[in-house]
Amino acid sequence: MLAGAFVVLMAVAVTWPGAVPAARIEPRVLGLPFAFAWPALWVVLSGPMLWYVDRVERRHRASRADGADGPDGDA
Amino acid sequence: MERWVFITVIIAGYLLVTLAIGLLAGRRATHSVAGYVAADRSFGLLVMYFVTGATVFSSFAFLGGPGWTYSRGAAAFYILSYGVLGMIPFYWMGPRAAALGRRYGFVTQAQLLVGRFPSRGLSALVALMSLVAFVPYVTIQIRGAGIVIEAVTSGHVPLWLGALVAYGIVVIYVLASGAMAVGWTNTFQGIFMVVIAWTLGFYLPHRLYGGVGPMFEQLAAARPELLTPPGLTSAGDPWSWGSYSTYILVSAVGLMMWPHLFMKAFTAKDDDTLRRTVMLFPTFQLFLIPIFLIGFSGVLFPTAPDDPDFILPFMIMNTDLPALVVGLFCAGALSASMSTGDALLHAAASVVVEDGIGPFRTLADETQRTLMRGLVVAVGALAYWGAVAGGTSLVQLLATAYGIVSQLAPPIVAAMYWRRATTPGVVAGLLAGWATAGFFYFNPALKPFGMHEGVVGLLVHIPVLVGVSLATRRQDPAHAEGFCGSLDRPRTEVT
Repeated sequence: MLAGAFVVLMAVAVTWPGAVPAARIEPRVLGLPFAFAWPALWVVLSGPMLWYVDRVERRHRASRADGADGPDGDA
Repeated sequence: MERWVFITVIIAGYLLVTLAIGLLAGRRATHSVAGYVAADRSFGLLVMYFVTGATVFSSFAFLGGPGWTYSRGAAAFYILSYGVLGMIPFYWMGPRAAALGRRYGFVTQAQLLVGRFPSRGLSALVALMSLVAFVPYVTIQIRGAGIVIEAVTSGHVPLWLGALVAYGIVVIYVLASGAMAVGWTNTFQGIFMVVIAWTLGFYLPHRLYGGVGPMFEQLAAARPELLTPPGLTSAGDPWSWGSYSTYILVSAVGLMMWPHLFMKAFTAKDDDTLRRTVMLFPTFQLFLIPIFLIGFSGVLFPTAPDDPDFILPFMIMNTDLPALVVGLFCAGALSASMSTGDALLHAAASVVVEDGIGPFRTLADETQRTLMRGLVVAVGALAYWGAVAGGTSLVQLLATAYGIVSQLAPPIVAAMYWRRATTPGVVAGLLAGWATAGFFYFNPALKPFGMHEGVVGLLVHIPVLVGVSLATRRQDPAHAEGFCGSLDRPRTEVT
């Protein structure tokens, strides 16, 4: 869910129309034009986002493995 | 020693190390099809990380990236935008594909498709279209390698010879060691290209402008149109948001559908390795930042190369860099080219044998491996011929290749997630998607909003897949469940 929302949000943010307001030179970020820093920022953000999703998923899988005879599984 | 001789020695050293790694790696693999195609499903995180990164970023990124930035400015930002978008879905799709691979013995993408949608015609169709997409892609890699070597040796090693030596080495290690060689050489090459890109990306702006900030100040004053998307077309006119946006979308969708990348899901040791590979991918992706800095640093350079794709070698040769740096740069560019080229050659051969021939003829394991080796040489030779013969329309062909591979996404997703999808639906969708993309490729003036033909293809493809599936007979629920249901391993083995 969270990752799906992030993908959609990022897809909108880096394409039309989301990228239009970001298509500017100022303010500059670490010397880079804002329009350059903008997609880079989303790439950087995706790191912690994936890390968080992985933690949630891991807990989810662990709890599923504990509930011995859950509704799913091939066993 | 003359400068170009010294540079040639460095390149030769790099090539020898690559060859040695490739040959040594193969000694760890078993002599089976699973060993040759999927490295016995043995890759750990380190190898998977670099295989993914180095394979995704080819000489298109390493040479084309600065070239785009130099000539088309912010249009290049599309390359930075799509990678992560295309990779995140693989966090779920990768482990699922890998689990199905273990369960049913798949080593290629089409086997997964045909496992769910039994049709030999579908298998052959996917193999054929993959090959059509692969050949121009390999050709570009080979040409890139040849041109870089020619440039940095000041023409003493001509394109045909440089390309022949570099790809002769690729063919040797792919022949000898298959996926295992691709994995370990890519690890070496991946480290190389990242280090070189970051180093040059900061070094060049500092040397030419006194830093990244001052460089963009001068650019903002002189060429502000280069700094904001959607940037320019190759002719220098403003690019459209429609094209810029759909390039991002089609590349994101196409990225993970490239058979040579998707197949890597079958090489990972376990699911956690695949998930962590996806999680770490953004760190590799960021190496496009220095790549763009290199391109921008060339904009105000007093002289210009004939072809913008060669801005990087051109500047390298015209900034009085030490010969050692030039040699290492060349090795970095070769790494980018060869790490993608080897995966492509290997995948092309595997796909033709497993998916194009396999369903029609039962072949012994040994015969399959022999056939694959023959095909590695055949595809390599074909692409080499294309690379030496030249032809600028190749870059155009690669853009179409994304139109072709992106059409593999709906059937792959349907195979793993949609129980109601049927074989006629998938075949009809693929044919409709490819026909639409092909039509708009040849009639670019008719494209709505300048959209990439691959996206238009998908807009037709998906409704056809869904409509025909719903109109045809449902698959055996147990069969569909085997692909779309839970893939948890049995928690208690029946004893």
